[in-house]
Amino acid sequence: MALADATIGVALAPVEGIPRSARWAKVRRRLVVGIPAGFVFLLLFLCFVGPLILPLPSPIGGNVLDSGLPPGSPGHPLGTDVNGNDVLSRLLYGGRASLLVAIAVNIIGLVVGGAVGAISGFLGGMADTIIMRGLDVLIAFPSLVLTIAIAQILGPSLPNTILALSAFSIPAVARIARSATIRVVNMPFIQAAELSGSTTSRTLLRHIAPNIIPQLLNFALLGMGIVIVTEGALSFLGMGIPAPAPSWGNMIFEGQQSLSATPLLVLWPSLALLVTVLSFNMLGENLRDEMSGR
Amino acid sequence: MTVTETTTSIRTEERQSFLGRVFGSPLTRLLGRRILVAVPLLLAISILVFALLEAIPGDPARNQAGMDATEEEVEAVRRQMGLDRPAVERYLTWLVGFVTGDLGRSSVSGQSVSSLLATRVPVTVELVVLAFIVSLAIAIPVALLAARKPGGVFDRIVMVISMTLLAVPNYVMALLLVLVFAVVLRALPAIGYVPIEDGLLMNLRSVTLPVLALAVPLACFYARFLRGDLVEQLNSADYVETARAKGVSPWNVLWRHAFRNSSFGLLTLVGLNVGGLVGGTVIIEQIFAMPGLGVLMLQGVMSRDTAVVQICVFIFAAVAVLANLVVDVMYAVLDPRVRYGAR
Repeated sequence: MALADATIGVALAPVEGIPRSARWAKVRRRLVVGIPAGFVFLLLFLCFVGPLILPLPSPIGGNVLDSGLPPGSPGHPLGTDVNGNDVLSRLLYGGRASLLVAIAVNIIGLVVGGAVGAISGFLGGMADTIIMRGLDVLIAFPSLVLTIAIAQILGPSLPNTILALSAFSIPAVARIARSATIRVVNMPFIQAAELSGSTTSRTLLRHIAPNIIPQLLNFALLGMGIVIVTEGALSFLGMGIPAPAPSWGNMIFEGQQSLSATPLLVLWPSLALLVTVLSFNMLGENLRDEMSGR
Repeated sequence: MTVTETTTSIRTEERQSFLGRVFGSPLTRLLGRRILVAVPLLLAISILVFALLEAIPGDPARNQAGMDATEEEVEAVRRQMGLDRPAVERYLTWLVGFVTGDLGRSSVSGQSVSSLLATRVPVTVELVVLAFIVSLAIAIPVALLAARKPGGVFDRIVMVISMTLLAVPNYVMALLLVLVFAVVLRALPAIGYVPIEDGLLMNLRSVTLPVLALAVPLACFYARFLRGDLVEQLNSADYVETARAKGVSPWNVLWRHAFRNSSFGLLTLVGLNVGGLVGGTVIIEQIFAMPGLGVLMLQGVMSRDTAVVQICVFIFAAVAVLANLVVDVMYAVLDPRVRYGAR
């Protein structure tokens, strides 16, 4: 609403005549999305490209003789951990693992959950009831137990962590997809499509999907933070990405054991986690406000 | 027709209408319908728990018998644990026991599950209840103060701090609290639980950090929600306009009128969070070495202790279902529009 008003205002008024407050509001609106988006890209760049171009030591297989070096040591800007591994290197490689897991889990959630929810909402009736009751079971199930049990069954590894965490991104996305589908399914253009002989799958893909995808993507953005935090929890409990490979969760866990002596080993990955989650949350929330026109 | 007959018939009618009121009331029907839905849900969850634990690789009997046990000894342990019977039969045995009140025994420690629960449940309940009290005690005043002047300095500070703290996972929050209050200030114990029997003060000291770790993110969440809702009410609701027009002071408009309306939404959020929070204690109990339900369940999953995990998951899921039900019923009790509404 406010956006539309502002645009009309801009269109009507001569450029130099825009009130300062309106111009500022427009800039501000771009910034609240732009800044967190910038942070997200920066993080992605640092974690995925950073290790390739920076002269970093390997995140694993460090020399125990180098253990516990303080920040600012030659060759180790953030120091080393108890195993003599470079903290900065582990932070970036760990971030790569965390982000990889979060992106993969959200893509699986979007594709599978989105399809299930859209089909459920589109078909309605008995099929809808059965699918939704099934999802209710997954949603009422304590999520950490489900992920821990799946991690136990499959064994700790990066792909298995992704699968385990998908167990609760799928039902969450499916719910959103279903309610979004129900909102569009009775609209005239869907009826028009059906009357003109569109098949069920064609209606779903061509007419319903484009209408619910923006909402799902936005939900997935907010879900990034949740997945990153839960992956951390899983790794923290020793059931996510297995050591010695770094992840922010298992770095926090390792650091916890020497919390009083070297608190920085906990603080670095915690800070990384905080900045990442905050960026994704702010991007998601501000984008949602923008989309709903608030 | 005599007078007596007439009175009797009126009485019967009255009684019928009373019973009719109880059983036909929307509230009772709401309760009945929700309980009918909850039973198959909980049943499905218990089947899923059983299937998941069955699927974890490894042989519980061998683990129990020890590494250097002979094949016969392992077989004996297997029979003793009942693992030689087919899975469906074992599940049904557990289910019958559960329904008749026999929760079985832990396959690891051999203790009866009910005696385990008796020591574990109070710890988790204390953590969760205190976390809710603390979070609301922080969130409500903060949100009221922030909503008094939306966009003001206090409001902005609150919004920035709450947004930041919301992004802190509870396990990180826990470690930061330990670092500040236990390592640096040495004011509170870092880990361990002191039962209430050993003194209330010592007990409260031992749960302060875990309760804060649980309560701070919740408080941020509630404060943000409540502040947003209050501001919306103040800006748009007609009754706010009316109250202002008749000269109610701004503080009273906020507290007596807007907050009373917003408290419905807050109540719903609290209800929805109960399930999540009970599940969220797992990792906090683990960090602070609290002998609660979460740790019991975690150890149970690790050691495939089916009877223990079953009951823990049941409690977590049932609490979540029940909390939602209580929220709906309270809605109906507090708000006549819901009580007599269509759905």
